[in-house]
Amino acid sequence: MTIVSDSPVHSSSSDDFASFLDAELATSTSDSSADEEGDEEENLESKRVKRRKVEVLEILEEVQDSTARVETSKEEAICAHPGSFGGMCIICGQRVAEEAGVAIAYIHKGLRLDSPELVRLRNADMKNKLNQKKLHLILDLDHTLLNSTMLFHMTSEEDYLKSNADSLQDIQNGSLFMLEHMRMMTKLRPYVRQFLKEANEMFEMHIYTMGDKPYAREMAKLLDPGDQYFNDRIISRDDGTQKHQKGLDVVLAEESAVLILDDTENAWTKHRENLILMERYHFFASSCQQFGFRCKSLSLLKSDESDTDGALASVLRVLKRVHSMYFDEDPRDAPSNRDVREFLKSVRKEILQGCRIVFSRVFPTSFPPESHQLWKMAEQLGATCLVEVDLSVTHVVANDPNTEKSRWATNETKYLVHPQWIEATYYLWQRQVEDKYPVNQSKSQ
Amino acid sequence: MFFHITLERNMQLHPRHFGRNLRENLIAKLMKDVEGTCSGRHGFVVAITGIENVGKGLIRDGTGFVTFPVKYRCVVFRPFKGQILEAVVTMVNKMGFFAEAGPVQIFVSNHLIPDDMEFQSGDMPNYTTSDGSVKIQKDSEVRLKLIGTRVDATEIFCIGTIKDDFLGVINDPTTA
Repeated sequence: MTIVSDSPVHSSSSDDFASFLDAELATSTSDSSADEEGDEEENLESKRVKRRKVEVLEILEEVQDSTARVETSKEEAICAHPGSFGGMCIICGQRVAEEAGVAIAYIHKGLRLDSPELVRLRNADMKNKLNQKKLHLILDLDHTLLNSTMLFHMTSEEDYLKSNADSLQDIQNGSLFMLEHMRMMTKLRPYVRQFLKEANEMFEMHIYTMGDKPYAREMAKLLDPGDQYFNDRIISRDDGTQKHQKGLDVVLAEESAVLILDDTENAWTKHRENLILMERYHFFASSCQQFGFRCKSLSLLKSDESDTDGALASVLRVLKRVHSMYFDEDPRDAPSNRDVREFLKSVRKEILQGCRIVFSRVFPTSFPPESHQLWKMAEQLGATCLVEVDLSVTHVVANDPNTEKSRWATNETKYLVHPQWIEATYYLWQRQVEDKYPVNQSKSQ
Repeated sequence: MFFHITLERNMQLHPRHFGRNLRENLIAKLMKDVEGTCSGRHGFVVAITGIENVGKGLIRDGTGFVTFPVKYRCVVFRPFKGQILEAVVTMVNKMGFFAEAGPVQIFVSNHLIPDDMEFQSGDMPNYTTSDGSVKIQKDSEVRLKLIGTRVDATEIFCIGTIKDDFLGVINDPTTA
């Protein structure tokens, strides 16, 4: 053994080594053959055996040599630098290029991960989530879960709110808060507490807002005073990878298991299929103005959205539906094939199943009707949209009761509804009673 | 590791501080300027322990400020690669966990957590062994080994591992 370890490893000297071994072996055979009375043939035989042994040794040596080489190359390839923290690889601690990978800054400053690592984490997460029977839910803040306004934007009629604000000592039971250090007032959407509580059973929830980080944290405190829902999963506009866009690339979740609640469709151009579009919640007058509505805000009307029939309650029903479809309905199907996007689509398609809709003077004449928002909404809801009336038509959508098609609808006793009927159905995930959306001249706006 | 060393710094002092309290003002300003800062070479300055020598002041032309070279002794903390360190866990997630030892931020990736510890999500995310005997969660104290360090002007980043003998949880907050 000592010979082997002392011997130089490179192959050029292996011949020397072989001859050295030969010599050694020859002496040992000569010793033994002295005892055996020197039979020529036997000696030859033994020489052949020794020769073979030397060959075996040489092969062994070669194998050792190559494993050594493999080991060194492994040492170099062993770390793929799957991510970095403060510019150092998270596995080997070596310095790596600062810009490699996607920044996951909302979890910790200076943390970046590359895409294979993200895929690995998402897969691991998926397994975990399947065991827990949970999916992912991404929640927008403004106009979805709450409405905020700056104090100096508040009108004098809204001043009564300032004295009615709920105590910050008892966040869990309040819904209207005055945040003096941020010069803001925030109103939580009715039903949001119940919504979060129930959604937490089915989903791992994230906050994803276009607001800045301090704002997001502050709102998370209001929504989740017990810190049981969101943990560190609070993503603000500083953490996204693209300006004015929200993306799932920084979210550690498989896209097929993510549902998104947001009021702005354009923020999610890459993930429209995961999105449940929310009707905007405007409580404060400034919020209405921002979006160009002339109507009175809820704060001025001193009213609020319905607690049990509002947008959040109806969306919660949809979430429950999709969740149960995902986990319960077809257990034979491999989990990897399931996709919330498909389930979401099919739930939506049932709502206006069988309706045949004609639009009358809703779109500008030069506008291709198929690309209008209302047309798309109706089709996503499962209705069939037609350009001309025939007897199979069930609904005529119009702003004006005196158009030709509107009159036809009245004569044929078909439903004549206002475009808001489609919007309301879309946002509330339920076919609305047609009589509540009549078309008459005075109410055309 | 902590070191007690002598450092030198040129202090600029405004003329309004001149007078019989000049030395005190100089030291107060030095403490304010230096304590809690980092330098790549020496690490984090924990505390100034004494002044060795204040050199001759040099009046800056035009401003009236005077520059004094000050030699001071201080305790510095500098992490080293390979060092074993005890730290408090600040955040646990599926990527690993973050821990803090004074000014030092340490990240231990889940690649460097023993394979038998698995991530458990929930309102108190943690890494737990399959038999549940060892648990790492927020506020746990862990002993870890540093495998990479970087000292910035204001922060110290480290990569740590607990995938080695005698590393891991040393104090569980749930049992304490």
